[in-house]
Formats: sequence, C-alpha cells, structure tokens
Amino acid sequence: MNNPEPEISNNLYGFYDLLSSTCGIYSEKMDHWSVIKNLPGCWPRIIYKIDPEIVKPVPTILFSEKLRSGTYPEILIAGDQNIQQIDPFLRSRGFYPFSAWKGMAIANIEITPPTLPENIEVVKVESPTDLDQWIKVVTSQLIVPAHLEKTLLESLIAHPQFEAFLLKSNGLGVSTILVFASEHSTGLYLIATEKSAQRQGFAQLLVQQIVFAKTQQSTNPIVLHATPKGEGLYSKLGFLPYNQFFLYRFINMPL
Amino acid sequence: MTRQEISTRIEAVSKKIFGQGTIISEATTPNDIEQWDSMNHVVLISSIEKEFSVTFDIMEIIGITRFGDFIDLVEKKQM
Repeated sequence: MNNPEPEISNNLYGFYDLLSSTCGIYSEKMDHWSVIKNLPGCWPRIIYKIDPEIVKPVPTILFSEKLRSGTYPEILIAGDQNIQQIDPFLRSRGFYPFSAWKGMAIANIEITPPTLPENIEVVKVESPTDLDQWIKVVTSQLIVPAHLEKTLLESLIAHPQFEAFLLKSNGLGVSTILVFASEHSTGLYLIATEKSAQRQGFAQLLVQQIVFAKTQQSTNPIVLHATPKGEGLYSKLGFLPYNQFFLYRFINMPL
Repeated sequence: MTRQEISTRIEAVSKKIFGQGTIISEATTPNDIEQWDSMNHVVLISSIEKEFSVTFDIMEIIGITRFGDFIDLVEKKQM
C-alpha cells in the first residue's frame, strides 16, 4: 500500500463536502478553510480543511471579524499539518482543543471473512424498517444536528457514493456503519452500537465484515478516523495510525 | 503546592462547571458525569489553565481521559 496519509484526509474532507451537498446544507470553500452551515450567511456548524496559511495576517483579521459577529462554529477540525503553529492561533481566538481523531488505514492484505453467529446478520440498509433502525442507533449514539436527523441520513443513504449497513442481532439492528467511496479510498463513518448492546463485539464483527467485503471489491485503502475510544478496536482489526485530526470548540462565554 | 492542594483547587473549579453536588475523584472520567460533554471539557481545560496560570500543550490536552490527568499535568508544570 502506498502511503495512505493524504487519502485519510482527502476521504474525510470529501465526506464533508458531499455530506453538505447531499443533505442540502450550505457549504462554502473559502481561501483557508471549508465550512458547513445550516443556511447561507450564518456561521458554520463545522469548519474543516484548515489551511496552515490561516495564521497569516489577512485571514487572521477575517477570522476575528467573523468571531466578533457573535456567531461561532460548533466543531472545528484541524489536521496535524502545522498544528503546533495553528493551535496557539486558534486558542488566542477562543477555540480550545478537546479531542483528536486518529487517521487510520488498513492495507489490502489477506483478510479472512469473520464467521457470523447464527443469530447475527449484516444487511445493506434499503428497506424502510432497516432505515428506521439504522437511524435510531446512529442518532442515539452520535452527535447529529437534531433538526436534520432523519432527512439528513435518508439523503445520505440515497446517494450512490454512500452505503449504510446494519448489523442485526436476533433481527434487531444494533450496530451501524456508513461507507463512503471516494475515487482513491473507502472511508468508514458513523460506526455506532446501540447502548444496551455495547461491549459485546458487534461493532468489531460489522467492521470486519465490511472491510472484508470492500477489499474484495477494490484495492483502494480503507480509512477511518478513530475516536480515542475506538482506536484500540481498529488497531486490533489491522488498522494502522498515520495522522491525527484535532477537534476544537469555541468558548463563547466569560470564564 | 502539594498534589492534594492542586486536587482541591481543580475540584473547586470543576464543581463550578458541573455543579456543587458533583462527586469527583482522580479516577472520574467524562462517562461518570453527565454534564462533562465536549463543551464543558474545553471550559474545564481553560478554567484550570487560568486557575494555575499555565498552558497545556495540545498533545497534553488530547491525552486527558480522567480527572487525575489534570492534577498530573498541573503538577508537572510546577516542576
């Protein structure tokens, strides 16, 4: 496998680009960052694809003007390129880091298909019932803008570059995954397990199943962006860490 | 400053954010306190930085997984 590091970033940014266009959310590519907004003119919910050049004088002024308007993003995602320089800049403007995702990829090595117990099945989400179950798990476990939940996820699933899968235990959907196929990589997103079914290995089975299926279809690297909680699981499955993405929130209050 | 003194001050800062009745120990994690979400996490970090006049490096911040990690970091900054 060639160095998958650029693809780990490209897949994530491609995911957000497509997410915004697919779901009818306003997005904008600016000189030094890209944003996802609910409406044109309002300040974004997510800022991503931060360019290290952001620390230079002109965008600094632009950035400050935006902040002075009293609106702010919920999450800002910065890649690790030049992070030691970007971090003080962001913090001086009220953004604080709170977590990081590990950019991971798995090589197209010999992967054996997992054996699923009799009461477990993995299905591609197509029927309204499966879609309801998939949405229920995702929205109960992940941060999704409340007013966009169902329509956003329905739009995603309808797009040809996205595929949603549901792991069912005894006929009930318990684990979810969203696969985003970009030109050069396959990204795994929205990996979640219903709370009462956690710590039973369902997510591991689902990821194994999808990784196996996708490596049969393409030689593109499979990439994901692991939270600190998920990193151990993905390492166990053969994913290797290549880079990091730092998550910031804006503190809009006197301390 | 002793570890106990650091702990007491951090606990006081934390209770202003999470509520006075919150039970906190070194092993407490965000899973143990409902109000310890990403927003309150950044408020807590910046409040502790201000309380002790220190700045945590980004790699130190992302390594924080439990309450005791804050005490370790402040202790390290004093050395």
